[in-house]
Amino acid sequence: MATESGGSVIVRPVDVLDNSGAVLARIARMIEAQGLVKSFGSLRAVDGIGFHVRKGELYGLLGPNGAGKTTTMSMLAGLLQPDEGQIRFDGIDLAARPLAVKQQLGVVPQEPALYETLSARENLRFWGGLYGLSGKDLSAAVDRVLQLVGLSDRSKEPIRRYSGGMKRRLNLALGLVHGPRAVLMDEPTVGIDPQARLNILEAVKNVTASGATVIYTTHYLEEAEELCDRIAIMDHGKILAEGTLEELIRRVGGRELVTVRGGFAPEALEPIVAALPGVQITSAAPGRVVLTVERAGRGSVDVLARVLGAGLDVDGVSVQPPSLNALFLNLTGRELRD
Amino acid sequence: MSLIAHLVAKDLKRKIRSPLGFLVVLSFPVLFAGMIALAFGRGGDAIPKVRMLVANEDDGILASAVASAFTSQQGARVFETRSVEQADGLERMERGEASALLVIPAGFTRDVLDGKPVVLQLTRNPSEGILPEIAEQAAGTLADVLEGGRRVLDEPLAELRPLLRGGGEAPSDAEVIAVSLLVKRALERSGDLLFPPAITLQSEIFGGGTEAKASGANDEGNTSAIFLLILPGVAVYAIFLVGDQAMRDVMTERTLGTLRRQLAGPVTVGTYVLGKAATTAVLSLVSLAVLTAVGALALRDPVSVPAFALVSLALVLAITGTSAVIYGVSRTERQAATMASIIYLVMAFVGGSFFRLESLPAALRAIAPFTPFYWATEGYRAVLERKAGVAAVLPHTGVLAAIGVVLLTAGAAALRRAAKRGAVA
Repeated sequence: MATESGGSVIVRPVDVLDNSGAVLARIARMIEAQGLVKSFGSLRAVDGIGFHVRKGELYGLLGPNGAGKTTTMSMLAGLLQPDEGQIRFDGIDLAARPLAVKQQLGVVPQEPALYETLSARENLRFWGGLYGLSGKDLSAAVDRVLQLVGLSDRSKEPIRRYSGGMKRRLNLALGLVHGPRAVLMDEPTVGIDPQARLNILEAVKNVTASGATVIYTTHYLEEAEELCDRIAIMDHGKILAEGTLEELIRRVGGRELVTVRGGFAPEALEPIVAALPGVQITSAAPGRVVLTVERAGRGSVDVLARVLGAGLDVDGVSVQPPSLNALFLNLTGRELRD
Repeated sequence: MSLIAHLVAKDLKRKIRSPLGFLVVLSFPVLFAGMIALAFGRGGDAIPKVRMLVANEDDGILASAVASAFTSQQGARVFETRSVEQADGLERMERGEASALLVIPAGFTRDVLDGKPVVLQLTRNPSEGILPEIAEQAAGTLADVLEGGRRVLDEPLAELRPLLRGGGEAPSDAEVIAVSLLVKRALERSGDLLFPPAITLQSEIFGGGTEAKASGANDEGNTSAIFLLILPGVAVYAIFLVGDQAMRDVMTERTLGTLRRQLAGPVTVGTYVLGKAATTAVLSLVSLAVLTAVGALALRDPVSVPAFALVSLALVLAITGTSAVIYGVSRTERQAATMASIIYLVMAFVGGSFFRLESLPAALRAIAPFTPFYWATEGYRAVLERKAGVAAVLPHTGVLAAIGVVLLTAGAAALRRAAKRGAVA
């Protein structure tokens, strides 16, 4: 692709950048969240987060269970009122005009929300009708999403006969039938077989290709890496880091993460680390210490040799290359699946 | 409005796909009232008689009077009496051939006249429930009557005793006159108590008749009357259950996640509740129509259709409101179902749906008007039994409608509060 200045450009669904990363054209923000807070009793489930999602962008919220992703999605869907903060969809304040926002929004909940005694087609017709579709438009929309999720052949069966994966696919279709401008997908692939997961991921890619804005929560690193234009890493109700995959991995600084487990006191590692250039302790807890090590030179090899040679009670050692998980480990001291 | 119609159409489609619960609830009042009417509606022949064995071991006049009490014209309506020897009677009881065995001991007449204690022995069949109770009550009443008579006529009896034991010689005219005068005076002294009787029992049957007759046609009429006597109250209870089932869908949709999904779409809590209320109303009206059709088959005389329709519409509103509150304040489906079962059962009992109010204790009768069941049941009884018109059922209609509006508003508010705190999401 050529620019007027003759240089090459990278086209992303969010911004148009030149080779140096400068923005040539900015695409408007579709979703904006500012200072969101939500508490349940003494638990601060969402603790002052803010982010924005551009039109046509697929934005990932990545974090372990309990990070506050679903609470954030509930607030974005207008199902929970934030204690503090503001949400805007295409410039419209959700609190002030909830129905105007919801009309443009599609929601794909974590657990399939379906009427089991009705067929897939009947479910879709109901949800489409709810958003004002009718007649030929409704029929066309139903056919389109059935095709998208690969359920056209079995669309007239009561869905109580469907497998778990098929229900998940229909669950996705229900959130898309009315052609929303923005879709909130809350872990749509949890607990399904690999084939069904692939089908859903393919459908999600098609949704973004059609121009819809998507917020996608997951605790699967691979999904975030594969799907998302930008990713926010959440834990304990806060956004710890945000950016494209490349930006986030760059934040680890090309350093490897070395995790040392055993029955030693964490302080015992301090003199060893102090003696090694380019090595830092990221987190220290009884039984586990995480170090970051520059990849230059022998790097982690020297660290391992020193640690194992120090006579400490070490049960295991692992080395991770720069990755989202390494970043999460670096940021929180624990892995996403802990 | 079209959104509510869309919600109702979906709910009705789901109900049609899974109709079992609805049909079971709907069949309940018809079966219940029908069975009771069949059991008790066919005049005296249909009521099982008390099979009474009487072993009279005394040949005196009072023993004969006691024994014949069970075979008199009045006693024969209730008792099927057989005279037996005591041993034979016990064997029959052993074989379960009788409800009770009454033994009148030898010397009974003499001991009563002498003022000595006597014992009438009644053996009850433990395998039967109510019939031996009837025998015991009847025998007890006889004993009381004898005791009372003996006390009232104590003086003339003292004069009679030697004559009864005289051994063949007829009493003289003077002796007869003397005893007669004593009896007359004793009765005159007791006259205020005995004549007229202090308590009279007048039985009446539904529909204006005062006495059931034995013809087949009247048996049928009696069955219909009892069916209509039972049906309104039980039908009110059943329609509340239908409404409960329809509104319970709020909790089902919470569990399914479809409520949350709708609220994330262009559906407000108010619209959602109105949709469920409309579904509840439609299902209740269908139930009412079915039960009305069944009731009409048994109806002998015309009733006011506008009055019936008014009570019905107000009842539907009350049902919708009551169930909306229960499902608005409940946190789980199980909690709601338990609460609804208890509340409806208690209100149906207190409100006179199962038993006529007249048969309930005064304390319960006092709180009955605080239940919608009372106003609905009484409204229907006014229309069906007393042939009341619109004006007469306006209080019933007004109270039911007010209950419905207030509770529906409260239910919607409760659900909105739950939605705000995230309880439905």
